[in-house]
Amino acid sequence: MTTVTIERVSRSFGSVHAVREVSLEIRDGEFFTLLGPSGCGKTTLLRMIAGFCELDAGSISFGARRIDTLPPHRRNTGMVFQNYAIFPNLTVGGNVAYGLHARKVPAARIAERVATALKLVHLDGYDARWPHQLSGGQLQRVAIARSLVIEPEVLLLDEPLSNLDAQLRVEMRGEIRQLQQSLGITAIYVTHDQEEALAISDRIAVMRAGTLEQVDKPDAIYRDSTTPFVAEFLGVTNLLSGTITRREGAHAVIKAGATEFHVEGTVTGLGEAVAFCLRPEALRVIAPGDAIPDGWASLEVLISRVEFLGALTRVETQLADGTMLRVALLDQPLETLSVGHALTLAYDPRRVTGFKAA
Amino acid sequence: MSVTLPRNSFPLVVTGIAFGFLGLFLIYPLYRVFGASFLDASGTYFTLHNYAKVVASAFYRDSVINSLTITVLATLTTTAITAPFAFAVARLPVGGKTALLSLAVLPLVLPSFVSAYALVLLFGHAGVVTHALEWLGIPFGSIYGTPGIVLVYVLTLYPYVLLPTVAGLKALDVSVEEASQNLGASRWRSFWTVTFPIVIPSILSGALLVLIETLENFGVPFVLAEDKPIMAVEVYKLFVGETDTNPASAGVLGVLLVCSTTIAVVIQRRYLGRRRFATGARRSPPLIEAGPGWRSLATLYCWTIVLISLVPFFAVIEISLMEYRGPVLHPHFSLENYAELLRRSTRPLENTLLLSTLAAFGAALLGVPIGYAVTRVRSRLTAILDIVATMPFAVAGTILGIGLIISYNSGWLVLTGGWLILVLAYVVRKLPFTVRASSAILHQIDPSLEEASINLGVSPMMTFARLMIPLMLGGIVGGMVLTWVAVASELSATVVLYSGQWQTLTVVMFQALEGSGAGLAAATASLLIFFTVIPVTLVYRLLRRYEMSLL
Repeated sequence: MTTVTIERVSRSFGSVHAVREVSLEIRDGEFFTLLGPSGCGKTTLLRMIAGFCELDAGSISFGARRIDTLPPHRRNTGMVFQNYAIFPNLTVGGNVAYGLHARKVPAARIAERVATALKLVHLDGYDARWPHQLSGGQLQRVAIARSLVIEPEVLLLDEPLSNLDAQLRVEMRGEIRQLQQSLGITAIYVTHDQEEALAISDRIAVMRAGTLEQVDKPDAIYRDSTTPFVAEFLGVTNLLSGTITRREGAHAVIKAGATEFHVEGTVTGLGEAVAFCLRPEALRVIAPGDAIPDGWASLEVLISRVEFLGALTRVETQLADGTMLRVALLDQPLETLSVGHALTLAYDPRRVTGFKAA
Repeated sequence: MSVTLPRNSFPLVVTGIAFGFLGLFLIYPLYRVFGASFLDASGTYFTLHNYAKVVASAFYRDSVINSLTITVLATLTTTAITAPFAFAVARLPVGGKTALLSLAVLPLVLPSFVSAYALVLLFGHAGVVTHALEWLGIPFGSIYGTPGIVLVYVLTLYPYVLLPTVAGLKALDVSVEEASQNLGASRWRSFWTVTFPIVIPSILSGALLVLIETLENFGVPFVLAEDKPIMAVEVYKLFVGETDTNPASAGVLGVLLVCSTTIAVVIQRRYLGRRRFATGARRSPPLIEAGPGWRSLATLYCWTIVLISLVPFFAVIEISLMEYRGPVLHPHFSLENYAELLRRSTRPLENTLLLSTLAAFGAALLGVPIGYAVTRVRSRLTAILDIVATMPFAVAGTILGIGLIISYNSGWLVLTGGWLILVLAYVVRKLPFTVRASSAILHQIDPSLEEASINLGVSPMMTFARLMIPLMLGGIVGGMVLTWVAVASELSATVVLYSGQWQTLTVVMFQALEGSGAGLAAATASLLIFFTVIPVTLVYRLLRRYEMSLL
């Protein structure tokens, strides 16, 4: 169990800065996720920790021990690969025992530890099976057992679920999380799937073009995104822009097109341009005659498109100047939403996130 | 995807050893041959006189012209005959297709030299068929010279064109042709505007291999050219006959020969580098439904080519089992030729077996790590290594042999006269086989397997030994067997480098050509066929799996 300290780490491939001056402190026993679109540098950063990619500058330490100078086979990390990387020439037991043989663990202990590791991933009794006899999900479990059995200081997971089907993916992410918590191991997880990241992590670092965009807890990343990029990357949102026209108590009022939005706090000076985001699910429908909740702001829209998804209904609406505003409604009767009709929406100004104009 | 392993000395060590080896036994000998062509007879002063002498001599001018003419003729004929063959096998309901393809691989691994020799035994001045025809009073033209040489090249080298073209036709996705016909092109038109252009690179890659092979081939023209000067042969004759300390004239012809093959290789690389029509076939086009007429015609065509190409080998075996009294053949079954062969000495057979085995292991030992470094490590150094390791393709065996002799017959390292110099020459010449075979199989092994092993605590070098070697074993063994077979039938470097007790089977045949020991030579050739067909048959499955990559 270890803290991982990444200090001013950089790496470029030719003229492309894959990772640029990244500093991070990952706590002991933390489940930490690197999230971002493809090409953002998240995998490069993970491979730097594993030792498969050299650093141009900076340092990486486990605890007080600097490890970026060590060859990859002496770093004692357990890596789970996207395509599992199960050795096809070894049995399940052989795969799990591989790292123990390298560590010269006595044979009797190896058998014992392999059995324990396989039990941990619910594959007891699969010792003698060959990889080609297993399903994708089972291979993934073997890969996890193989990297846990060596008792690594840090568990590294490189998009481990991307080759599984949707349902299995949800199941496995729960299991991985549970396993990590019961062992108390520090884990670094790479994914481009925001839902997966939110579901599994203690903290998330959103990466973009080789740099860290925001590092925080899942709900903070989602609700209080610090940049428009993070807001947009973490699920559907409304990204709007306008100018601050006045202040009303603790709110700043932003005029975007013909509509006024209320934001909590000052955001920036009067008359200045701002970008802001408002999550679709933060908007509520106010039925005719109903009161707007205390301290909330409201706006009028026209319904332009309705998409019924079961539990959720997604509605695209238009503001007075034609700007699109997305709304997500839970359990809303469909007959109240007809295209072309007007709708009154309300929101809590605390749910509007303002960004200083970029 | 490439793996970059920090502070991993393994690729560096491999690259270093490879450069050291190839530098000593390929680059330096070539440099010496090159140098020899620019120095005077004593080997001390720079001169262009040697080039002037060769250019002024009608004989050597002819040798260049003859070589190029035969090469172009053989390449065109082979391609023209083989392309329809390939199309028939890939797209028409030809009978006995599996057997056809298995037999079509054989000429590739049986020595073209034996084929030429069989032709002489059958149709030469004292040939069996010639005698029979004379006896019957039927006049018969000569098979010596250009027609015979081209014929042998066509019969022995056509698999070089056949295999990539069939593979290219099979890799074509059916949707491409369907799209063409959907857009209104007739079947005929879509063949010429879509199918054919897409397989042109495959055909050409094979054709250029034929071109290089014919240019550097020594055995076939030696047997069949008679008085016609051919570059690869004249280099040898000049070298053997030259009395000066500096083999200047041989050097000049050698440089011209290496330049010609190098130009061919460069053209091939540049042309194919720009044209890669990978259509990523999901479904190969279906067989064309042809009437019984077309079907029989295609079957007849394909089987005729394959059977004719095998005639020389059956003929050699047949002749070896007949009785010779002096130079005269008697149509009685006899094992006397074999008895005579064994009475003389079993050393040549032992030498062939020993040297081939050593060379196969040597080439694997060096070629597999090179294939690994070239495939898995992207750097300027490995890019250069890739080029250097394919260079032996373009270097004629005679030239390499001459280079090795002038480099290592004196000084700090003396190799001439022993077995080691032969093995070194073989390893260098056949290195591209193992390099290609191992890099082909590496392309099928996911790099993350290695990373997983390293991540679990096994060093890169041990990972290569314990994980990669077992995973690559199929490709490695396939490459080794091909090397073994190719070395067993090697003549061009052997004839320059062998000495006294290190005679091989091919040298015995080569010498028997001059005398009247046709029966003995046929028995020797049969012995060689026996020892090469067995491993080829054993490795046939592997060969089919990697048929593209081993070319």
